[in-house]
Amino acid sequence: MRHFVIVGVLVVLVAVLTYVGLNSIGLMPVEASAQSVPIDWLWNLDVRVISFLFALIVVPIAYSLIAFRRKKGDTTDAEHIEGNTPLEITWTVVPLIVVLIFAYLGAYTLAEIRVVDPSAAEIKVRAIQWAWSFQYPEGFTSKELHLPVNKQVVLKMESSDVIHSFWVPEFRIKQDVVPGRITEYRVTPILVGSYMVRCAELCGASHAYMQAPVIVSSQADYDAWIASQKALAAAAAQTPAGRGEQLANTIGCRGCHTIDGSKLVGPSWQGLYGSQVTLSDGTTVTANDAYLIESIANPSIKIVKGFETTTAMPKFDLTDAQIQDLVAYLATLK
Amino acid sequence: MKKFFSSALARGLIWQVVGWALGAAFVTLIRILMGLKPLGIFFFTEPAWVFGGLVGAISFLAASGVISDWFKWAKGEETPEHHHDPDGWEKFINVSLDHKVIGIQYTLTALLLLVIGGIFSLIFRTELASSGLQFLTLQWYNTLMSLHGMVMIIGILLGIAGVINYIVPLLIGAQDMAFPRLNAFSYWLAPPAAVLLLSSLALGGFDTGWTGYPPLSARAPVGMQMFFLGVFVAGWSSILGALNTIATVARMRAKGMTAFRMPIFVWAAIATSIIALTATQLIGLSFQMVMFQRLFGMGFFDPAKGGNPILFQHLFWFYSHPAVYVFILPGLGVISELLPVFVRKPLFGYRWIALSSLGIALVGFLVWAHHMYTSGMNEYLSTPFMYSTLLVAVPTGVKFFSWVATIWKGKISSPIPTAFLFVLGGIVVFLMGGLSGPPNATVATDLQLQDTYWIVGHFHDTLFGGYVLPFFAAIYFWFPKATGRRMNETLGRIHFWLMTPSFIVLTLLMMRIGLLGMRRRIADYDAALGFDTYNLVMTISAFLIALSVLVFFINFFRSMKKGEPATGNVWNSRSPEWQVPSPMPAHNYDQPFEVVGEPYDYGLADSVYVRFAKEK
Amino acid sequence: MAHMNKSEALRQGVLIFVFLAVLTALEFFVASAIGSVTLLAAIALVKFGLVAYYYMHIYKLNLNDQDADRRSDAYKLATNRLGLWLFLLSDTFVFGGLAVSRFNLLGLTRPPLNPTLGLIVTSVLLLSSFFMNRAEVSMEHGDRKNFILFTSLTLALGLAFVVGVLGVEWPSAIAEGVTPSVSAAGAIFFMMTGMHAFHVVTGLVFLLIILRNGARGLYSSEKHWAVEAATVYWHFIDVVWIFFYPALYLIGKLIK
Ligand code: HEA
Ligand code: HEA
Ligand code: HEC
Ligand code: CUA
Ligand SMILES: [Cu+2]
Repeated sequence: MRHFVIVGVLVVLVAVLTYVGLNSIGLMPVEASAQSVPIDWLWNLDVRVISFLFALIVVPIAYSLIAFRRKKGDTTDAEHIEGNTPLEITWTVVPLIVVLIFAYLGAYTLAEIRVVDPSAAEIKVRAIQWAWSFQYPEGFTSKELHLPVNKQVVLKMESSDVIHSFWVPEFRIKQDVVPGRITEYRVTPILVGSYMVRCAELCGASHAYMQAPVIVSSQADYDAWIASQKALAAAAAQTPAGRGEQLANTIGCRGCHTIDGSKLVGPSWQGLYGSQVTLSDGTTVTANDAYLIESIANPSIKIVKGFETTTAMPKFDLTDAQIQDLVAYLATLK
Repeated sequence: MKKFFSSALARGLIWQVVGWALGAAFVTLIRILMGLKPLGIFFFTEPAWVFGGLVGAISFLAASGVISDWFKWAKGEETPEHHHDPDGWEKFINVSLDHKVIGIQYTLTALLLLVIGGIFSLIFRTELASSGLQFLTLQWYNTLMSLHGMVMIIGILLGIAGVINYIVPLLIGAQDMAFPRLNAFSYWLAPPAAVLLLSSLALGGFDTGWTGYPPLSARAPVGMQMFFLGVFVAGWSSILGALNTIATVARMRAKGMTAFRMPIFVWAAIATSIIALTATQLIGLSFQMVMFQRLFGMGFFDPAKGGNPILFQHLFWFYSHPAVYVFILPGLGVISELLPVFVRKPLFGYRWIALSSLGIALVGFLVWAHHMYTSGMNEYLSTPFMYSTLLVAVPTGVKFFSWVATIWKGKISSPIPTAFLFVLGGIVVFLMGGLSGPPNATVATDLQLQDTYWIVGHFHDTLFGGYVLPFFAAIYFWFPKATGRRMNETLGRIHFWLMTPSFIVLTLLMMRIGLLGMRRRIADYDAALGFDTYNLVMTISAFLIALSVLVFFINFFRSMKKGEPATGNVWNSRSPEWQVPSPMPAHNYDQPFEVVGEPYDYGLADSVYVRFAKEK
Repeated sequence: MAHMNKSEALRQGVLIFVFLAVLTALEFFVASAIGSVTLLAAIALVKFGLVAYYYMHIYKLNLNDQDADRRSDAYKLATNRLGLWLFLLSDTFVFGGLAVSRFNLLGLTRPPLNPTLGLIVTSVLLLSSFFMNRAEVSMEHGDRKNFILFTSLTLALGLAFVVGVLGVEWPSAIAEGVTPSVSAAGAIFFMMTGMHAFHVVTGLVFLLIILRNGARGLYSSEKHWAVEAATVYWHFIDVVWIFFYPALYLIGKLIK
């Protein structure tokens, strides 16, 4: 009996210490969405149960090792205890009830997370290797996701190539973006701040870098941003280079190409225009308009040396005018 | 050296390369005749590489000689019942039909793959030690990371096959497995599979992780196909091995060995084999379908053609979830098998433990979609899968509680033998992994956890605690049986105390940064997240683990020659294999035995488990 | 099941064949007149039951010989049988996976295939199963001449089936626009029939082996495990087709 009492006390002690310890270091990032509240609630319950079960199993084992260790010179076997059916039933049924409760709570929280606000604004999200772009109902496309605080939005997400996954740790939820279908991500930001959406599904070479800023701001700031974006879009649409830049930023070129000379999957665009490019067959061409137009319209015809085995550049559905705009933009990148 | 070059292994490898080249050349020739482009980026075209790879694997098998008996049968010739193995180390690189030799072959191959996979992890862990790209390219990171996963997993499959092969016939008193030739064949599928898998390194690698999800895997370089082929071949090894195990246990048990008098490990072997026999076909099929999508444009998973990328995930996880129980059930079986020996008490609740293995295996078939909560599958599927997944905690819990009750009041000798240290380490580490499972299983919390390092931490703990540590326990425990010598205890303890704490640090930090926002499968992370120190400590832990493995190998090879002789019942075990001298005689038991009692009646005076037939 | 004499075995073989033929016709009728998927599935299950019990004699797995001498041929034979059935169980998962994929991708629609052609190849396979049964029964009674005759007939029909699927059905499907690369529907059709045909081809190889060895007198009424194995495997191929045929040709609405 004495042993059981000691172990019982120790189990409670270790469980409480484990829980307090885990809790004090701050396990989860800040809660920035309404949906994160029920998730964190369930998570906290998980941590408590985990701490308890961990103690419940490790403490008696450790205690046995110390208290019942074989004495010097003792060569006998231990007591012959084969089992105990009521005990076995207890530790089958109690965990069964616990997991059923957890499953119920899981379903319940899920329903809470998925609550639909019919007035939620809809933003289209496009994922491409390896960039995010956000198309606003106001008619412009952005590389940053701006959201007003305390308003539910629904992201309608599409992928142009492979599976990606939309994840903002502070929002807690995650949703894959699958080619060939539209998936939905419903979120109500509750904390003003700037976060990052990071692609959580391996999507090829630059998966690690597939991220975009997510900025939650007050309604007033949000409205101002929308207005400025509309103005910018209108201004940029006036010049070919401006249109080209917009296009390059939104359809995903920048997932593979940088404008600062560093190399991602594709060659950098910095100083590309007018330079001498060595191709995989050893010949050299000048990167003039004709070459660049061909490179964009039919990427597989001329491959730049050193890029034979990386992920090939995809063929985009672009009009001739769009390609001209892109080239005009490339020409500005000295 | 000469002995090596005339071995089945060397012949097989040489012919694999030759067959590969011939197969590829054949396809290239046909392409020339058909007027198609004959050569590709990696010299041959993709169909040529794939066909060559297949021909190469078959050539390996033919050249090694494992299938020659079957050819003789087909021709109507008789073959001798027993083959004679050479005496020295050569028997391990030649075809043997003896389950003990095959068990050791499997085990050595598994250790080799563990080292290869481990070295991959050391390379990419070094890259991760600080933010920014240091010395790997993105593609190399992805290739090494993905191969680390799959090489380790195949290493596990071979490792459990090794333990099962060596131990199960001994435990049930059989002369050999039910189908010795099939057994050899299953083993000899593994080396060509490993070669295929590793050849992806030279063919552009692949960047999909071990899961190989399309559409990404439909676009990756040719290396992807070698990965698929390698897994496919290894899968057959696993399927046929499982078939053999089930037939052996069903048909070869000693007299009187009823279901509930089998040693507990046999139950684990059966539960594992049921999964491996059936579910493995589905990973083979899913990979085959992607291979065909790439080769023939068959649009199973291509949305542009009306295909469905999610279908792949269902097929894949229908195997790959139950597979995780394939990995651990034998490990947990080893824990249950060794505990009573070391605590000198009966296994508490034998029947419950036996049935919990089956329970885990069967419920494990119904939970696969918990890997897909965020995948975009129909949401109404999530809830039933959440219930079924959480249900697995119940039989697993039964095991844990029964283990605790077994250890309670057990008389453990000091100092604790290394094998038992690994058992205890396995219990604790697997508990950490198991307890990190339910949060993934509840959909709401998994929305945060999915595809983060939390998950990486979860499964390293389950795999290490449920497989790696028990596997080492099994090696320390049965090493005297196989060699007649003991492994060195001091080195063993160094191995354990270096490995387990480092590993716990490694995985706790994985979980920690996962929760804070570290995604899986990234070659680089944002310095602004502040994970640099954590990652550095993780990398150091990884190297300490590697060091401990090195200590193990030194111990292993040294003890084989110089270890303290141990021909008797080293552990004072009741199990039949310890009632005869070590190393195990060539044909196992000279006299058949009969089971006359319970397997784990420690502490009960004059009870016996097996009685050998009287000497003639 | 007691050992049957020759004429009883013949009567049983024929009876089962007639049942199967009637059910196949019924299936065709149900598909064109009622179109009930449940009914089609039920018929397929009945057919499967008949083949598994009478042609594949699954009941032979149920043996109680734990006390027998482990080294006796009878004991080893029973072990072999178990091994074979375990293999078939495993293989079932491949075909099951294909069937699941078919329903996932196509739901209750089906590719435009020629139903008459489907019925013809199905009948050919069914008939081959009947002859396979006759061949096995002949060997059980040590009748080598008939064994050779019936095995050759099975082989010929099996070959006809492969030619029918690969040589006639595939081109005709392609002519209808169902190609492997044009749509998922085409892909799954070629995958299912292709994997099945692959099994038929391996079955044919087995048949060739037992035919040759049978002709050389290597089997007797007591000892003919190879014949039994090839037979069970051959019927298994038939069983797979019992499910694939309605899944591809009968169930659901036609895709235009
Ligand atoms: C050996 C391997 C192994 C084992 C045993 C397990 C065991 C479990 N796993 Fe794990 N898992 C993996 C290997 C394993 N897993 C791998 C490799 C992946 C990642 C794959 C990839 O994407 O690459 C993964 C991923 C994974 C996911 C998907 C996560 C994601 O990607 O979003 C989920 C979700 O449900 C999950 C759940 C579970 C659960 C509930 C168990 C349960 O079986 C655990 C049961 C055990 C316990 C719970 C502890 C003991 C029980 C008690 C003490 C009783 C009382 C307990 C309660 C009342 C709760 N696992
Ligand atoms: C059994 C399975 C197993 C084992 C044992 C391990 C062991 C280790 N694993 Fe991993 N791991 C997986 C299975 C396993 N892993 C899987 C399935 C994945 C998922 C892949 C995917 O996402 O697709 C993964 C992923 C994975 C990641 C995530 C990668 C990412 O998402 O980007 C990381 C990161 O730290 C990691 C690290 C490690 C480390 C440091 C070890 C260490 O424990 C390794 C220690 C080293 C060794 C055991 C060998 C060293 C020995 C020597 C050097 C001695 C040489 C001497 C002689 C020859 C005598 N593993
Ligand atoms: C998946 C990655 C990827 C994306 C997305 C991508 N590219 Fe590329 N790009 C490459 C690679 C790889 C090369 C080098 C190989 C080649 O020449 O095709 C390349 C080459 C080029 C070149 C020739 C560069 C040179 O140095 O000669 C141009 C111009 C170009 N890309 C423009 C674009 C534009 C415009 C877009 C967006 C519409 C785009 N790329 C999107 C990968 C990509
Ligand atoms: Cu997109 Cu990862
Ligand atoms: Cu799982």
